[in-house]
Amino acid sequence: MLVRLALQAMGTRFELVLQGEDEGPRAESYLRAAGEEALAEVEQLDARLSLFRRDSLLSHIQRNAANQPVAVDPDTFGLFELCERVHLASHGSFDPTVAPLMRAFGLHDDLAQTAETSVEEARTHIGWKLGVGLLRNPNRVVFHSRGIALDMGGVAKGHALDLAAQVLREAGVQRALLHGGTSTVVAIGHPLNREGWPIALGPGRDAPRVVLCDDCLSVSAPSSRSVQHEGRRVGHVLDPRTGEPASAALVAATLSSSAAEADAWSTALLVSANHSVLPAHMESLLGTAEESGGAAPAHWFHRPRVCAPESTGFSHVPPSRQAAPLQTQ
Amino acid sequence: MTTPDRRTFLKGAAGAAAVMAFQPDLSASPRALGAPVRVGLIGAGRQGRVILGELGKIENVTIAAVCDSDDRRLTGAKRRAPGAGFYADHKQMLESEPDLDAVIVATPTHQHRALCEDTLSAGKHVYCEAPLAHTLEDAKAIARAARAAKGKFQTGMAGRANPVYTLARSFVRTGAIRDTLSMRSQFKKKTSWRTPSSDPARDKFLNWRLDPEISLGMVGELGTHHFDVLHWFTGQYPTSVRGSGEVLAWKDGREVADTVHCEFQFPGGVRSTWEGCLGTSFEGEYSLIAGTMGTVKLAGTHAWMFKEADSTTFEWEVYATRQQFHQDEGIILIADATQLAAQGKLKEGIGLPHPQLYYALENFLLAVTEEGNLCCSAEEGLRATAVAIRAAEAVRTGREVAIPEQDFSLE
Repeated sequence: MLVRLALQAMGTRFELVLQGEDEGPRAESYLRAAGEEALAEVEQLDARLSLFRRDSLLSHIQRNAANQPVAVDPDTFGLFELCERVHLASHGSFDPTVAPLMRAFGLHDDLAQTAETSVEEARTHIGWKLGVGLLRNPNRVVFHSRGIALDMGGVAKGHALDLAAQVLREAGVQRALLHGGTSTVVAIGHPLNREGWPIALGPGRDAPRVVLCDDCLSVSAPSSRSVQHEGRRVGHVLDPRTGEPASAALVAATLSSSAAEADAWSTALLVSANHSVLPAHMESLLGTAEESGGAAPAHWFHRPRVCAPESTGFSHVPPSRQAAPLQTQ
Repeated sequence: MTTPDRRTFLKGAAGAAAVMAFQPDLSASPRALGAPVRVGLIGAGRQGRVILGELGKIENVTIAAVCDSDDRRLTGAKRRAPGAGFYADHKQMLESEPDLDAVIVATPTHQHRALCEDTLSAGKHVYCEAPLAHTLEDAKAIARAARAAKGKFQTGMAGRANPVYTLARSFVRTGAIRDTLSMRSQFKKKTSWRTPSSDPARDKFLNWRLDPEISLGMVGELGTHHFDVLHWFTGQYPTSVRGSGEVLAWKDGREVADTVHCEFQFPGGVRSTWEGCLGTSFEGEYSLIAGTMGTVKLAGTHAWMFKEADSTTFEWEVYATRQQFHQDEGIILIADATQLAAQGKLKEGIGLPHPQLYYALENFLLAVTEEGNLCCSAEEGLRATAVAIRAAEAVRTGREVAIPEQDFSLE
């Protein structure tokens, strides 16, 4: 029994596939109901974290956090803590305060803007470490200067999928695959009679494949969305340290037990290509321009997971065992 | 229906911006409670989970206890309310947590009465989700218990705490749309309306909304909130209701209708329709109040006013942000407008930063700490619940059902 559900949220499409061992209408009703609860969670997260909704909690924080600390729910606060952790561990390669620069480059063109900021000026507003404060008991967030703005696009999908997966697990679902915009994927268990959910990392027959089982995958590539700015193409991932478009890698993929963490690190690696700073429990794959002569990535660096069962890590699946894979961007 | 103080409004129409400026209730920004409040939650299902998330944003609130008879749900609540006490039985919770100030009841509707009565007699303040009950007898019993109790009682009709609804209501009540002619509400969402249960033995209990013995169906569980908002805006209650309901979208053996139509008759000839459907999401959820000079549309975190061409012009209209709906242009109603305008951020203030549930909970807790007033009493809750109970009867039988005055009375 397979049930599929979908939702348009966070400017992209979320899809769930749930599998049950039993057949029949009762089994279908149960899986559908569980999937609907999970999608309701994604809807709520969209209302909280979307930069493109003026009624989101994030927009509210944007408007007020420079004036006074803004109280946030435990889940959102946990996400901010994760951002801070990855920001520090990645030496600034991941930094949600890159939002003003995204806007200045025209990467937020679908967003209502109140002030035009130049690229040069926007660069001066980047910096989580000095700009954002997290206050505990109660949980609040505060901005230390007026120009700060957060783009949670690097982690929001993963965070939504983490919470949606939590809802599915609490409802007793044992086998499911969830993705947001095909770039962030959560696997609960594995499909019946298979070791995991096979995923192709990119288009084409030669794209590397991974098999996921109780794992989260995030893939970032600057080429997936770009704009023309003053005569050059600017990809949607910027290097917060230099204020320039990220160019260290063509594609970065990460595996973690948390999709939000995988999301944050895939962005960080795309910017720095330095996986020596990756937490020990994670794995990564990186496709660099040098290795492929500027075309599609030819070589993937692989940092094996520590203490993980073989079947749950990155592995190449022989073509004979590949099902129609879900293609990532 | 003629709104009461139209003349006063027309005389002061130029001061409409001042209406926005000086309405203290219109702030959409969160307020910290002046004193700490220890809260218990009974019911950690879908609604309970959302409640925990919203409570987490309110400064000075401690979620001290969570109660649910379902183990799995209690496990889920542990993540959302770390540090709370967890209980399978509400009596045990009330005994073991004597320091609770307030309790939020978010269980299946048919359980509300016993829980509210026990919690009120334990001296706690109570917030009970709407509808209050599935029978008139239970709804009245709750209202009586609330009246006799020492603690405060708020019905969870969240629309009354919604800052943009409050703003829209101030316009309607002062005659901005002149005479109300018709009203319409809908709830449309493509959803099976089921609760997942991997254990067949628990299925009937968890899917109480689809149990015709105890469920008021869509019109009761969803429509009650819209009915209350219309009563609050107009100050009037319907005298009869016609209805119909079919199972069209989910032919999975259910008996509770997934497609519902109702028509309410108000004094003076005005009618209000309610439409619910679980097979389509088109246009979602909203209410419309149409008058001779304009129409107000209310949709959760947003509200708009559509003016007739011959209506009076508000001075602030030139600054207003508008939104096109096919051939109609709506003026977006903004809470905190004056404050945002002063910061040059008016266009960013469209829509509320929190769901209306947040404002309802904040409103209740501010009343608990004596910093504000309750926005929906048990009696108001009883009235909207009574209307919903009669509407559910009309949907079930397909007949016109009277809504007598004594339905609203506690005597």
